[in-house]
Order: sequence, then C-alpha cells, then structure tokens
Amino acid sequence: MSEISQAAIPPISGRRRRTDNTMRGLLLVATLVALVPLVLIIYYLLYKGLSSWSSSFFTTDPNGEFFGNPGGVRSAILGTLEIVALATLISVPIGIGVALYLTEYGKQSWFANLVRYFIDVMTGVPSIVFGLFIYIVLVLGKVGGTGFAGWKGSVALALLMLPIVTRSSEVVLLLVPGSLREAALALGAPRWRVVTRIVLPTARTGLVTGSLLAIARGMGETAPLLFTTAGAFAVTANLNQQMNALPLQIYNDILSPRAVVVSRAWGAALTLVALVLILNLVARAVSRRSSMA
Amino acid sequence: MIPPETTSKESNHMSTAGGPPEQAEAAPDVSALGVREGTGHAINVKDLRAFYGSQEAVKGVEIEFPPNEVTAIIGPSGCGKSTMVRCINRMHEEIPGARATGSVTLDKLDVYASDVDVTSVRRLIGMVFQKPNPFPTMSIFDNVAAGLRLTGTKSDNLRERVHKSLQAVGLWAEVKDRLGQPGIGLSGGQQQRLCIARTIAVEPEVILMDEPCSALDPVATLKVEELIDELKERYTIVIVTHNMQQAARVANTTVFMLDGLLIEHAPTSEIFTNPKDERTERYVTGKFG
Amino acid sequence: MQETRHVFRESLKILESQVLGGLEMVMLQLDRALEAISYQDVELAGMVVADDDRIDGRYLEVHQGVLSLIARQAPVAGDLRIVAALLHVIRCVERMGDQCVNIAKLVPLSGYESPKDKDMLDAIERMGQLARSQVSQAKEAFAERNVELAQDLVRQDAEINRLNRDIFKRAVEVGDNLDMREWAMFMILVARCIERVGDNTVDIAEQIVFVVTGLFREFADTSTPPEPVKPA
Repeated sequence: MSEISQAAIPPISGRRRRTDNTMRGLLLVATLVALVPLVLIIYYLLYKGLSSWSSSFFTTDPNGEFFGNPGGVRSAILGTLEIVALATLISVPIGIGVALYLTEYGKQSWFANLVRYFIDVMTGVPSIVFGLFIYIVLVLGKVGGTGFAGWKGSVALALLMLPIVTRSSEVVLLLVPGSLREAALALGAPRWRVVTRIVLPTARTGLVTGSLLAIARGMGETAPLLFTTAGAFAVTANLNQQMNALPLQIYNDILSPRAVVVSRAWGAALTLVALVLILNLVARAVSRRSSMA
Repeated sequence: MIPPETTSKESNHMSTAGGPPEQAEAAPDVSALGVREGTGHAINVKDLRAFYGSQEAVKGVEIEFPPNEVTAIIGPSGCGKSTMVRCINRMHEEIPGARATGSVTLDKLDVYASDVDVTSVRRLIGMVFQKPNPFPTMSIFDNVAAGLRLTGTKSDNLRERVHKSLQAVGLWAEVKDRLGQPGIGLSGGQQQRLCIARTIAVEPEVILMDEPCSALDPVATLKVEELIDELKERYTIVIVTHNMQQAARVANTTVFMLDGLLIEHAPTSEIFTNPKDERTERYVTGKFG
Repeated sequence: MQETRHVFRESLKILESQVLGGLEMVMLQLDRALEAISYQDVELAGMVVADDDRIDGRYLEVHQGVLSLIARQAPVAGDLRIVAALLHVIRCVERMGDQCVNIAKLVPLSGYESPKDKDMLDAIERMGQLARSQVSQAKEAFAERNVELAQDLVRQDAEINRLNRDIFKRAVEVGDNLDMREWAMFMILVARCIERVGDNTVDIAEQIVFVVTGLFREFADTSTPPEPVKPA
C-alpha cells in the first residue's frame, strides 16, 4: 500500500453526522424531561417550606389547637429518629446476615436461590402492605399491651428496609475477591473467621453505604406508620406507645384549613428531605474516604 | 508498630541518609527462622481422583514429593495439575460440587481422614497463589501476622515472628520502616513475597505454590525463584508452573501431567535433556499444537 | 496438525544441512589431498591448503548459528542433544579439514623424483579410501540418525589403525636408500593424518548414538567390537 494520507480514508458522511447529533439530542431531551420535575420539587419545597423554618419550629411540639400558634415539629423529628433508629437496629444486622448466608454458605443452592427470589419480591411489595400486615398482627392483637405503638412502626419499617439492605449487601459482599477468601482458608482459618476478619472488614464501606441508603428510604415512608404508630403530639421516649413522626405530621397538616399549619407541613417536608440529603452525603463521604485509603 | 531494634545486621544498615526504601535490598535469609529440629516431611499421593461434579479432572495419580526438595508440575492447560495440588491441602473441596477420592498423606498423617480437622491440615500445608493476594484492609505487619491471628494461635512473640518471616523472604530491609502501611501499597513482586512471608509465619511443613510468578515481571520472578531455592532447606515445596524454563531453573524433580494423568516423573535435568516418554518430549520441545 | 515452532525447526534444519555440507567439503578435500600425494601434484596441494578457508568459514557459521539458536529458542530434550551434537560434529569437520591440509603440505616436501615403495603407497591409498568412505558413512548415518551405521564406523576404524601400524613397520624396514627413507618418513606422517581423520569419524559416530539414545558411550577400544546399543 502506498503512503497513507488523508486522501486514503473516506470522509465523514453527512448522514452519519446527522444520526450522531440526532441521537445526542434525543438523549439530552430525555435527561431534561427527567430533571424538570426534580427541579420543580426542590423549588417548591424551598419556596413553601423555608418560610416556616424558625427556632420555634424545631424546639416546640405541635399542640393540636385550632387557634393560635400551632407549634413546631420537634416531636415529629425526634419520633422519626427514634422509630427509624429501632428499625435500623432490627433490619441491618438481619439483612447483612441474610446476605452473608447467601454469599458464603448458600451460594447457588436451590434454597439460596429461593431466598433470593423472595427477597426480590419483597422489594416490590407496596409499603402500605407492610403497614397493614403489622396492623393486623401486632396492633389489633394488642401485642405488648398497647394498640398503636412506636416500636410496631419500627417493625413495619424494618420489614421494608430488610430486602433493600440484603440486596445491596449481597452485591457488595460478592465484590470481595474470592482470592482473599481462598488465601484466608489456605492459612487454616475456620470459615466463620474468614467471614468476620476478612470478608466483613473488606466490604465494610459498601455495607455501610447500602445501609445508609436503606435508612434514608425508611425515613420517608408514611403508609406503614399510619397503621402502626398513628401519631401523637408530645415527645415521648417510650416506644411502646403512640408516637409522632415527620411523615405522619405532614399527612395530618397538609389538609388543614389553616394556612400556617399547611405551611408547617411544607416545612416538615423540607426537613425530611434535608435529613435524607444529609444521610446521602454521609454515605458518599464514607465511600469516598475508603477508596482513597 | 515497628518492632524494637534487633541485633541483626539490618540495624547497622540505617547509616544511609535519605535513599528511598525501595533501594534497600536484602537477600532472603531463611536461617533467620531459627534452627529446625528433625528432618523434612514427605507428601505421598496414592490413587488420587478429583471431580468437578461428574467431570473427572484428575484420573488416578500416584506420586511422592520428597522432603526438602522442590518438585515442579508441568503440563498443558487443563491437564489437572492445579487441581491435583489443591487436593493436597484440601482446598479443592471448597469449590461447590467438587470432591476427591484417594489418599494423601503427610508423613503418617492421612489428610483425608474423617476425624482430621481440615484447618489443621492447612496450617501444616501452606499455599501461595498465582495472583498476589495480601489482605487489603490490613497493614504489612498485620498481613504477615494474619495467619497466626486467623488460626487463633496464641503468640507472645508476634512481633518477633513477623520480623523473622519478613527477613526470611528478604523483605525486611525494604519494609521495616513502613510496617504500618497497607499491604497493597507494595509492588507486585513485593506483594507476592509478602504472601509467602504470611504463609511461612504459621510455620507449615510443606508449601504448595500454584503458578506463583505468572503475574510478576522477570526481575520479581527471579527474586521469588531465589527465595524458593532458599526455602527448600526448610520446607518441602511443590510448584505448579506453565513456564517450563522456570521448572528447569527451580526444581529438583519435574512431573509432567496430561489429561489428568501423570505421564513422567524424573529428575529435572533428565526431563529436559532426555525424557523417556514421547509425550513428554513433544510437550517439552513445543511440538504440542 | 500444523507443526509448531516452525521457525525453530527451519533454523535447526539449516544448521544440520550446513554441518552435513561441511562433511561433503571434507570428503572433497580428502580426495584431492590423497591424489596430490599419489601423483605429487604441488598445484593440487596448494588448492587444498587454500580451500581450507571454506571449511573454517563453515565452522564459524555453524558455531554462531548454534549460539543464536540456543539463546533465542531455548532448545530442550531431543532438540538440545541435536544442537550439542552439531557443535561437536562441526568441530570434527574443522579438524578433519586441518588434517587434509597437513597431508597436502607434505606433498612438495616429497620431491619429484623421490623413489617410492609400492607396498607403502598401496597401503596409503587403501587407508585413504577407507577414510573417505568413513566420512561418507558418517554423513549418511548422521542424516538418517542410524545407530547401526554409526557403530559400523568403529569397525572400519580398526582396519585403518591396522594399516597405520603396517605402514610404520614397512617404513622401518624400507632399506638404506636415503631418499627412500626420507620419503617413507613423510608417508608415516601422511598415514598419521589419515588415521586422525578416522578417529574423528568415530567421534561423530559417538555423537550420533548420543542424539538417538541420550546416552554417551565412548567407542574407545577399537580392538573389540562394542555391544550393540539399544535406541531409547
């Protein structure tokens, strides 16, 4: 072949250039369409909610009165934190445990595959169903001596969070290279030590991130709490009775005829979103820190 | 985390001001591990068959690995050499659906006896893998100590044992100032030597190596080969390699396997100058397609 | 199945043909040297001496080729034995070439009109023919890797040694003529050179057996025939 120069290669066809650009344009449009509602939501939240944020918003409880100052949302914030904390304590260890079983022991056995299938189904169950389930099993039966109670809300949320924790944990655990397990086994380590000393520490960041995301999800769910916790006005540390929570507060307030109460609902919504945002940022920071180690 | 200064020659090396730690080179010094009592230990394999599900990968192999010698196992891909070696320390059965029959004995210990604890077997028979696999969450020191900690071995002189292991593999001078840094921060060749140090820290009798230099550059490969030569004074070594030149350099005895069977087993110089079996000759001279 | 390492195989074949070609060159040189001795042809002798450069050149070629092959292709097992044998054999070729030169250099010294002893001359001719056939047989045996043919060379060499001893005895008894005695002494030297050529072919025979069996046995004692060596 003689010397190669620009003359030897065919020029870019106009048709191909047009197709490239059309594709680019279409995808850009799709992205914008997706972004628009997102941006609108944030805008509305800030527009409507920021105005109700004040020091009393965070330091006083809602007082349920029809006239005068309706109060803040302190009990709702604390209630959310308490309920979600208990739900986390339940769902994260169990969820990681299931994931460990699936990756270390069950692997591809028929039983493990069955478990995986059920977990997948559970992620698709509507949250209200979890609420109803707990309502029937725990609330109506007055288990623990009370009807509605904070801890029953936690159980409902835990059921919701469990498959999310399991799914994300399994992915992370599978990313731990098999060669590390092999190396530990070849040194003469019993399998449970391989799991606790090698697999878990190596997967630690991913597990934390996955759990944080599940917590963020659990924070925002309203339906399960409606049937299990029901809501209250005052702050209470006793999880064995009705408690307030941010989603419940929003649900109650948004339909009020009083503008200031509706405004408080927006403020609560903004608070909830802020909490979720903070959790996401923490998850990001945790994962970034470990990848730089 | 740096162990106290010992009276070894390394402490006098500290005179050079400033040179980067990578330039400090020490030859492997297996005598650092102390005096060994008794003689070496032999592995005897009889009628070994290994299966992946219903597929037979090793079809009845009988072989003895003499004590304090390096035996290399060569053969084309899929001939069953790695599988056979993994049956010796019972790593083969960790694969779902895999099993093995036959007998493997370390001196008088039947490795497959039903009342034998498989973790004890693996402590006596160590293994080094193809791709260096130091534990990423652990420091250099912790990596070497990992074997002892993972097996629950109580050890009062942990620092000393780590020091000796690193000295034995010739890494001590290169890493003594950064024992607390992550194990994965080392170069490939250093990582592999670190894995070897980790393996010998639990004081095995036999070391199995599954293509230990495949992932290393030529200089690192030569260093590891030198180390193997030193290590055989103390351990019985079995090395699987697809690099015939390496087998030729490193092994006292060479074994040729093909399709799950042992074809020839002879002193290395014989295999490479005058093999008895024609299949060996064809493989070794590259007439294999 | 296509043969693998065909670059290596080609290179090895070329080296071997170069060595066998060297043996051909030796045969030619030997013929000419012996003819020069028989007819006292000084010009022919001069050609033999000059042409030895070709043999030396061939030696260097093969030597370099072998080194290059070892460095680049890392031959082992049977291939390694062939390569080692080739190096050995080309050395023998070079030595045999030198012996031919020694024979040729003895020609002008014999003088034109020197009296000759017919029996001695016949013996020399006979030795020369035997040596020439030995070289030819060595070449054939090497090319075919024929162990029996190689061992037969030892038998022929016994014959050459016998003739050598006979020539020596004749020279001692050749008589009082000074010129005759002088010529006879040169003939002893010629016989010695031919005998060395024979020894070199025995060396080549040893190499052939080594290549085929992987065992090296010296065919030292030529008075008794060696036991047949079984190929591997």
